Amino acid sequence: MVATTNFLGKAHDAIEYIFDKETFVENKIGSTRLDPDLAPPAMVGEATLDGTICTVLSVNSRRPNPRFRVVFNGVMGMEETYKFSQALYATIDADKDKPIDEKRPVVLLIDTPGNSPGKIEEIVGMTKGTASYQFALMDARAAGHPVIGMIVGRAISGAFLCHGLLSDRILSLPKDYGTIVHVMPTTSIAVITGIPLERLNELVKTNPVFASGAEFVYKLGTIDELLDNPDQMRDAIIRNIAEVKELRKQGREDKLGIWNRGQVGAERGGRVKRIEAIEKMEKEFENILPDLLE
Amino acid sequence: MRMDWEELQEKSFYRSSARERAYGIVDPGTFREFLGPRDKMYSPHLVILGEAVEFDDGIVVGVGKIDKHPVFVISQEGNFVGGALGEINGAKMAYMYKIALKCYEAMKEKYGTVPEDRKPLVVVSYDSGGVRLHESNAGLVAHSECMEALWKLQNKVPNISITGSSLGAYGAQGFVCMSGDVVLANDYGRIGLTGPDVIQQEVGKDEFDASDRALIWRTMGARSKYILGDVDYLLKDTIKEFREKVKELADMSMSDISKHRHLGSPELVEDNLELVKIAAELKIDDSKDLWEYYGNENLDELPEMPQEEFLKVAKRRPRRGM
Repeated sequence: MVATTNFLGKAHDAIEYIFDKETFVENKIGSTRLDPDLAPPAMVGEATLDGTICTVLSVNSRRPNPRFRVVFNGVMGMEETYKFSQALYATIDADKDKPIDEKRPVVLLIDTPGNSPGKIEEIVGMTKGTASYQFALMDARAAGHPVIGMIVGRAISGAFLCHGLLSDRILSLPKDYGTIVHVMPTTSIAVITGIPLERLNELVKTNPVFASGAEFVYKLGTIDELLDNPDQMRDAIIRNIAEVKELRKQGREDKLGIWNRGQVGAERGGRVKRIEAIEKMEKEFENILPDLLE
Repeated sequence: MRMDWEELQEKSFYRSSARERAYGIVDPGTFREFLGPRDKMYSPHLVILGEAVEFDDGIVVGVGKIDKHPVFVISQEGNFVGGALGEINGAKMAYMYKIALKCYEAMKEKYGTVPEDRKPLVVVSYDSGGVRLHESNAGLVAHSECMEALWKLQNKVPNISITGSSLGAYGAQGFVCMSGDVVLANDYGRIGLTGPDVIQQEVGKDEFDASDRALIWRTMGARSKYILGDVDYLLKDTIKEFREKVKELADMSMSDISKHRHLGSPELVEDNLELVKIAAELKIDDSKDLWEYYGNENLDELPEMPQEEFLKVAKRRPRRGM
């Protein structure tokens, strides 16, 4: 595969690329049928991966939402976050009587530029939409489903917070394949903070907290695994699902999710002062715990 | 820092610093700060950028008591870099949820079950715009860590959100705020994901005129959020009012507190989606359209009238299970 393979704005194409050929069925999860008119950009359904049924959550950038004018080009609005939540609860329901080994994996294909920045969203509460989706992801993990995030395009700011960051494991394609991972581009950060762009661009070379791109956030632990090219996605996802299952079976929740990635990041040299802060707080807390229990 | 607790009680919550809010929200003399200014845990990244630092990194965290309840307080300081979260203050916030759960588990071990009159609580006083852009990647993951940690508190440790300071709860702090069990506000409270300036910049002035103060208040402000159900209790602007409401909630059973929840279950997904559908069907253009839908009159007066009168006349969106 040549380096021109690119799923930016085409996360739906990544479904065929990763999962077993022509197995994706949209809006079906177990015996649940999701409303096809709700949240057209939210492309959710079932597909098999090496014969195993998975729940697939992706955003289709080519479908706007006719009811919300700001929801287009892969933006996640309110309906989209609630539809993803519905899909996750349907996933939990579909396997509720199955042993932990047989809980279907959930795969997030990540390519979204942001949550919908609209007035109606603020009146009704975009906050609740994104938080609901995050809680549903946590509920799915707690029910035993391995949740894998695969960055194939844009993983940006608040949209990455809901659609990705709470996964058990996060994998990413490198920048050469069109991925964009950041809160905002350094050009915008320079404008807002007043820090000269040249200075920022210099700093990103040594400090990953300022930087934009999968290669940098890898050092913070934000991403578990950086792949070389799209051909590795299928096998990497299959392997990560197996590893998450095994860790979950052993009760090693501490080795999964965002909190664990903080530890992983510190080992890679990112956010080391965070660990120091936490250790100090832990000591202070332990000293007064007996008083608190009185 | 010495503070007169009695004086703090009558002080405006809105005008109080993060440390004053933290001291005043719990019983007199009980607040003990974790990683206070003396520990000098400031942001290493602001230093690199040549920016001013604060020794508490703009957040006050610690534990106090209300009666026998340990109360874990997170109090944000909007006057320092917009109250926004970076590596250090983010770690302090996220780890507080972990500590509160550890306290709960320790209590369970000691007493068999956690006695209702001793159950630990988390209280968060929001005053933040979300991610600190000076160290954006660290600020982003800190929010995610908060969410993973606070999710675990459900039905164990009450998590009470307060918005009533100068900046409100915006950006990623907006959804952290709404993830609490109960949301308290004074008339200055605001909750939002995308701030007015960002909407105007990204979508245009015809979508949102960020210079229109009245529009901001009725879109993100506490009164609209109270009518639509996101704010559970609208309070007078003194620290005492908030402390008394927290005390009242502390004495409530965990199951009654959980009934306030705004999200986090399949039922609440459907409940929230119902409001989204109503907004789409009515093609609303302003929060007033929804206030009217839920039976309110005098739409222009509602944001302006004295709070007591507002609380008497405001008609609220009915909520499931309440």
